[in-house]
Amino acid sequence: MKLHSRIALYCLPLLAASLLSGCAKKKEVAEAAPPPAPEVTAPAPAPAPAPAPEATPEQPAKTVQDQIADVFYDYDSAELSTAAQTTLDANAKVLNDNAGASVAIEGHCDERGTVEYNLALGDRRAQAAKDYLVRFGIATGRVSTISYGEERPFATGSDESAWAQNRRAHFVVR
Amino acid sequence: MCALALFALALLGTPARAPAQDEVRIDLSTDTQKRIGLVLEALTAAGSARSLAVSADPILANDLSGSGLFDVAKAWESASALPADAQAVVGGKLTITGGTVVLTGEIKDFPARRLIARSEYRGTTAELRRLVHRFADDVALHLTGEAGVAQTRIAWVQKGARASELWVVDVDGFGARPLTAFKSPLTSPAWTPSAQEVVFASLRGAAWNLYAVKLGGGAARQASHGGTLNIAPAVAPDGAIAFASNKDGNSEIYIAGADGSGARRLTISRGIDTSPAWSPSGQRIAFTSDRGGSAQVYVMDREGGNARRLLSGFSYSDSPDWSPKGDKLAFVVRTGGGFDVWIANADGSNPRAIATGGSNENPHWSPDGRLLVFSSTRGGARGLYITDLRGTIVRRIEVPGTAANPAWSPRPPGGSVSGLNLDTNRSTTQGGKTR
Repeated sequence: MKLHSRIALYCLPLLAASLLSGCAKKKEVAEAAPPPAPEVTAPAPAPAPAPAPEATPEQPAKTVQDQIADVFYDYDSAELSTAAQTTLDANAKVLNDNAGASVAIEGHCDERGTVEYNLALGDRRAQAAKDYLVRFGIATGRVSTISYGEERPFATGSDESAWAQNRRAHFVVR
Repeated sequence: MCALALFALALLGTPARAPAQDEVRIDLSTDTQKRIGLVLEALTAAGSARSLAVSADPILANDLSGSGLFDVAKAWESASALPADAQAVVGGKLTITGGTVVLTGEIKDFPARRLIARSEYRGTTAELRRLVHRFADDVALHLTGEAGVAQTRIAWVQKGARASELWVVDVDGFGARPLTAFKSPLTSPAWTPSAQEVVFASLRGAAWNLYAVKLGGGAARQASHGGTLNIAPAVAPDGAIAFASNKDGNSEIYIAGADGSGARRLTISRGIDTSPAWSPSGQRIAFTSDRGGSAQVYVMDREGGNARRLLSGFSYSDSPDWSPKGDKLAFVVRTGGGFDVWIANADGSNPRAIATGGSNENPHWSPDGRLLVFSSTRGGARGLYITDLRGTIVRRIEVPGTAANPAWSPRPPGGSVSGLNLDTNRSTTQGGKTR
């Protein structure tokens, strides 16, 4: 009991701070909605007793996939925001450090377009992410692209939070 | 047209008069057509034919009301209250001799009940639905000058969370069946002119490609090559396929042979170009492009020249489909969270909303140009609906699962089960005035 309340006391401000920063970030760049996978930009020692829900228990060595994050887009756009470029910079570093890894970039869209237009838009999004990585120095042969359009949404629902989740380039490491 | 109807009657050698023909003809030149009041009588039958007749009656009633041309009063349901404004009576008899079913269809004027036309349709018991459909199409031919579409089919996509399949169903909702077992994302069915084959796009392996599958079964054949995005096929009257591909970088429109060979690029723009649709003459292509900043419908020549934007005043227009007579285009317009179906003249004039409420997508013309099929979320899960050009829903096609992307087949090759040869009529459905 005592231990729990101490941890809670210790963690609360951190939690609040991270929530606040999350909110601010969200307001600033609406497309940077938190993806379902755990963020890895800040590899904290993580002493908290609440581990990320989907993380496999006690896996010390992170896979390349774990270190790669998805990129999010504005509505009807394939332009890379500052946040998206930051993510891609990090992804490129990971790929640089893991020369054996190649990546397939899946372009996804929200449901607010026709099926055929969204397939072209998803293709454009995946291409934009690939072009960025290639400009960063990743060999073009290590990066493939495919569009899923609106065929495989990450979030169901017809509101902005679901749509923001679905406007993404999803990275699959091979 | 009147001559055609009389010609069809003459073929049968049936003593028939056509005194009321002109009076009950509806005006096909407008889309504000008034429906013709019909009294539908139960088919008479004796012995073993009786159960067949009982199953044929609702098929015929469904065909006639689903045509969007008729207000149908079923005499067996409302014998005491026949509509005063009815203009014709439809009925007949059904007999079985040996293994052969003979449907004798009759059209009479109303209220005098003088015979306008009588035709016989022969086939096996398994062909009963087809016999009834042919009669229904002939009723439309006799009373409007153009045959109906009861013998056509709808190809559509059954959507799953991770994979979709191509399905086909008779236009009255009967006989839904899958044509693929791809277990992969799949979109955009398009019929070939024979009405015997459907071209579509699917993501199998690492790329979207076009495939073609025959109604009769057999393996699907691949009909595109190169690039990772080959989608949105549209088949021209001569069999050429227009489609969108990223084989040269971004999504552009190409034209290729039926097997995907000899692909030539038609568009050059930095924007997205997709969703081509042929004019009925095969000389022009409507398509979607965001070259001007937002997705809009454009029209160009078959070789890619003279591209111009068709519509103004919409923030987003997409999914064009050219009417079979060439005089109109259907398309979708984005609303807040979804789409409405609109139609306009082929030059972009006189645009008007046809289907609103829920999200309405992928409009596709019936081969007689009097109806549109589209998918809609108006009833909850996405399903298939048919509307007339006044915006009245004439049918929801009941099919299993979530249904999207409908494509209306051409009329099938005629002549196998009916004594009435309608080939001469079919030529009237192919458009002339597309320029």
